[in-house]
Amino acid sequence: MSNKYRLITYAVAFVIILALNFVLPRMMPGDPLQAIYGDEALIAMTPELQAHLVERFALDKSLWQQFGAYIAALFSGDLGYSYYYNASVFSVILGSLPWTLLIVGTSLVLSTLLGIILGIESGWRRGSRTDRTLLTGLMGLNGFPDFFLGLLLLICFGIVLGVAPLSGAVTPYAGLGGFALFLDVLRHMALPVTALTLAHLAGSYLLTRNTMITVLRAPFMLTARAKGLPERSLKYHHAGRNSMLPVLTMTGIWLGRLVTGVLFVELVFAYPGVGQLTYQALLSRDYPVIQGVFLMVAVTVLLVNFIVDMLYPRLDPRVRHAY
Amino acid sequence: MLEIKNLRVSYGTDAVLTGVDLEIKAGETLAIIGESGAGKTTLGLSIMRLAEASVTGEICFKGKDLLRLSGDEMRALRWDAIAMVFQNVNNVLNPVHNCLEQVAEPLVAHRHAGKKYAREKAGELLARFGLPRQRFKAYPHQLSGGEQQRVLLAMSLVLDPDLLIMDEPLSSLDVTTREELGELLKQNGGSNARLVISHDLDTAARLAGRLAVLYGGRIVETGPTVAVLENPRHPYTRALVRAYPNMTTVKDLQGIKGRMTRPVSGCAFHPRCTQAITKCKTEIPPLVRHEGRAVACHRGGIITLLATENLARSFGAIKAVDGVSLAIAAGETLALVGQSGSGKTTLAKTIMGLHQPQAGAVYLEGKKVTDRKKAFYRRVQMIFQNPGESLSHRLSVLELVTEPLDIQRIGTKAERREKAIRTIGEVELSTEERFLDTYPHHLSGGELQRVAIARALALDPDLLIADEPTAFLDASVGAKILKLLLNLQENRGLSLLYITHDIAAARKVSDRIAVMLAGKIVESGPSARVVAAPQQDYTRRLLASAASLH
Amino acid sequence: MHISLKREIKRSHFGQAGLAILALVVIAAIFAPLLSGYEPTATSVNSLQAPSAAHWLGTNHVGQDIWSQLLYGARTSLAVGFGVGILSLILSIIFGVSAALIGGIYDQIIMRIVDALIVIPMIIIVILVAAYIRPDLPVIILLLSALSWQGGARVIRAQALSLKQSGHIAAARGMGAGQVYVALKHIVPDLGPILLVEFIYGVRRAVFIQAGLAFLGIGDPMQVSWGTMMRDAMSYSYLNVWQWWLIPAGVALSLTIIGLTFVSHAAESVLDPRLRGEAVA
Repeated sequence: MSNKYRLITYAVAFVIILALNFVLPRMMPGDPLQAIYGDEALIAMTPELQAHLVERFALDKSLWQQFGAYIAALFSGDLGYSYYYNASVFSVILGSLPWTLLIVGTSLVLSTLLGIILGIESGWRRGSRTDRTLLTGLMGLNGFPDFFLGLLLLICFGIVLGVAPLSGAVTPYAGLGGFALFLDVLRHMALPVTALTLAHLAGSYLLTRNTMITVLRAPFMLTARAKGLPERSLKYHHAGRNSMLPVLTMTGIWLGRLVTGVLFVELVFAYPGVGQLTYQALLSRDYPVIQGVFLMVAVTVLLVNFIVDMLYPRLDPRVRHAY
Repeated sequence: MLEIKNLRVSYGTDAVLTGVDLEIKAGETLAIIGESGAGKTTLGLSIMRLAEASVTGEICFKGKDLLRLSGDEMRALRWDAIAMVFQNVNNVLNPVHNCLEQVAEPLVAHRHAGKKYAREKAGELLARFGLPRQRFKAYPHQLSGGEQQRVLLAMSLVLDPDLLIMDEPLSSLDVTTREELGELLKQNGGSNARLVISHDLDTAARLAGRLAVLYGGRIVETGPTVAVLENPRHPYTRALVRAYPNMTTVKDLQGIKGRMTRPVSGCAFHPRCTQAITKCKTEIPPLVRHEGRAVACHRGGIITLLATENLARSFGAIKAVDGVSLAIAAGETLALVGQSGSGKTTLAKTIMGLHQPQAGAVYLEGKKVTDRKKAFYRRVQMIFQNPGESLSHRLSVLELVTEPLDIQRIGTKAERREKAIRTIGEVELSTEERFLDTYPHHLSGGELQRVAIARALALDPDLLIADEPTAFLDASVGAKILKLLLNLQENRGLSLLYITHDIAAARKVSDRIAVMLAGKIVESGPSARVVAAPQQDYTRRLLASAASLH
Repeated sequence: MHISLKREIKRSHFGQAGLAILALVVIAAIFAPLLSGYEPTATSVNSLQAPSAAHWLGTNHVGQDIWSQLLYGARTSLAVGFGVGILSLILSIIFGVSAALIGGIYDQIIMRIVDALIVIPMIIIVILVAAYIRPDLPVIILLLSALSWQGGARVIRAQALSLKQSGHIAAARGMGAGQVYVALKHIVPDLGPILLVEFIYGVRRAVFIQAGLAFLGIGDPMQVSWGTMMRDAMSYSYLNVWQWWLIPAGVALSLTIIGLTFVSHAAESVLDPRLRGEAVA
């Protein structure tokens, strides 16, 4: 895809997101203000505030003007106000975002790296017992949904063995600092990250393994063997380097899957991230938060995909010099 | 340096090499020639122990049997002592590393050189093979075929190996690049020994001092390159040279009948050979060495089919044939060139026994021919200048072609008829009833000559003597007859004694030319040499006055 | 190609195992009433009972028989799975083939929409919609289908493009065939194996998402589903009831997905070269 088309695609995606976000509440029967702010909010609002909001969001004007107002609000950083939390949606999300980034980021890196390494080793030994065990094992693991894995881990290590904390990102009211805090965070994120990583390991593993199998048959592998290079160099420097490329292109898509997964995992482990936030918002019908999260998540995923698309040519010389 | 004994390599049940014996001395370049599927690349890979096949035999490199080494020992030897230039295909170089890095890599891996030093040395080598500096950091897919070949060559020499194996090093290149790289290889030799694997005779001629021919998984001939190409001793080598378009040979291209098939019991070439005997079907011929050359043939190489020794025949005072000693090898065409009255036809008729020689002898496969019994005529046949005269007007086409079979009493009537019809088909004539019943006076000159050839071929002779077969025919008709003769030679392995006054035609159909003047042979030799570098004045005159379109 | 693909799947170990598992699930779904003694939605006062002769897997927090729920849950998963799978496949075919055949601006537009939608995770769109509408099973099936066809469309379009160049299509055009005829008679049949693989992917994705949505509480709470079972069981995890409540539901769900994974792996191996660069889901 050339750069122009790429930009158009992402622009289209962005527009679709905005449209969805805008259109849905306004399609609901009844008072649009209720649709935007939820029942709870309406109770809390004074008539003056209501009138002010109606004006602000141009709710009594035509749909296009409403859309204009909506866009204007967005670009000024206003994602709405949550009456449930009594704070701006933006700040609410910002409070939860770091935790989610922490576990999603760690899981993404871990699952990709581990998947690549296992995939290389598996592909190198194709057909051997190690390979077949890994293949069957990882495909089996892949069948377990994140939430089930999370629950299993929680029950096993949290409840039965009692070695892991049952909820939260840090031990509450502990007032820890420095290194102790660091350890505490690690203890709390260990199980969620493990659940996410294990559930999504198979993606990069299978892709790397399959690519490895093809790469090993390529003429340049025979050349490398003829050069008398040690096995490690053949596996990683020569074959591995070629097998990694498809994996990198999929990173954006896998991030999407991790985003789906973190929602469940945060719920299971009561981890105070954006997933947990979304769930609570769903329960309490806190529409502004839901919309805000939707927007943020969608945009983040788009951004990461875009960056990966930009990055790929730098890593694959064949593509780099094709332009 | 390298000695291979009885190497057998098979991929599962597919036996690719069935007993290869080879030797390469230090500083020597040996070329292995063979067609696709012969096992050349397998041979190269087996030496480096990279073939994924079962390998038995001995590969002695500097005294050590490579097949007995451990994996690590072999890995240490690879590239350092024995390196290989692979066939220049897509993806033979790693697409994600640049060229400089790939050339420098062995230095780092084997000699533990520092990266900077390795890159410098790699750069030097690339420059010597003519790669411009700005292409050093390029990636393989950005290079042209010629540039990639340079990288492959430089990369193979980076550790200065004792033995360099090159698989089709020049085949993918255009002619000018071929020349340039051939030269570069010669200059940047070092003292290593080289093994060139190719199907291309030009590559072998350019790069190698000695040549080995691979057929059916075994070596069938070895010797100094020039000698083997000019005077091949094995029928396959001869056929290879005949099939190869080049600026040296002048004879028209011919293929080899049949296809290479395996497994075959006995000699792998026997189904396609021009001189196979019963033994060839059952026993594998060993490679026999003699005076620097070696041939694997039960008959010791291409045999001499017919030879005359000091043959003489006079008519009164005229010495028509005056001490002629000739030799015709199996499956070859010897052209006897001379002007009218030189005694050519007399010589032919004397060989056939139509005239009695007054001195000298004729030998058929080494045995002296004392009287011409039927057996002789089963092996030697003749076609004459004027088919209108040599074919009886009383007999139909079918009867004419069946006649020799009747005389020799071969087979039943039905079988003879069938054989005749088949032979008529072979000379590209119609086999319909209507045509078979035609009488000679209804046929054209070209058709008549074909009938004559069919008649001669009915007995499946080994040698066909053709006396000015196109003399009475138009040029276009004659050309087709000559092509027919060449095809018959290709398909049946016939030897031809082609008698003509026309040296221009002679060079197109003959392997060797003998020039006859006043009953004596004044010059003879391979047609390419006789035409390019005649030794005798008469020959030169013949060449000068030959038909030319200038 | 049809025949050989099915044969290959049956021949591979993964294929056999996968098909066996799926067969089990289908049997459980179809014969649920026969295999269980209770109505899954029938509540009783015997709540949170451990497994016994009367209740093989015990009862849940409102006294429903867990074994019955497990069996009937298979129906929900399979219904959503196959429903979405088929609908999504049909949409993929329609959009993929039409984009390939019509080309031009239409193709560009469709492809931009496809690429855009592939990147956005399905679940957040569903959550957004679920916040406003209370989705029951048919709505979920429609919604998921609308969000799943994009990946398949991309693959199908690529294949249709290469088929478009092939000889027999040109011949049909030469006889005066129109686009629809060519699409239905020449392109879709040739797509056979790819369609099967995309279908299996679709089913797998749908089973997973539906269970996840049920786990989050999105969907009809009256509908018996493995996801709902796990959600309810989770609240009681501090009581030692998870062994017979949470685990069976989770295992049933996982096994179903594993079975589908195995079968799709077997199918993929057959199509290796073609699907290599287009791995989706």
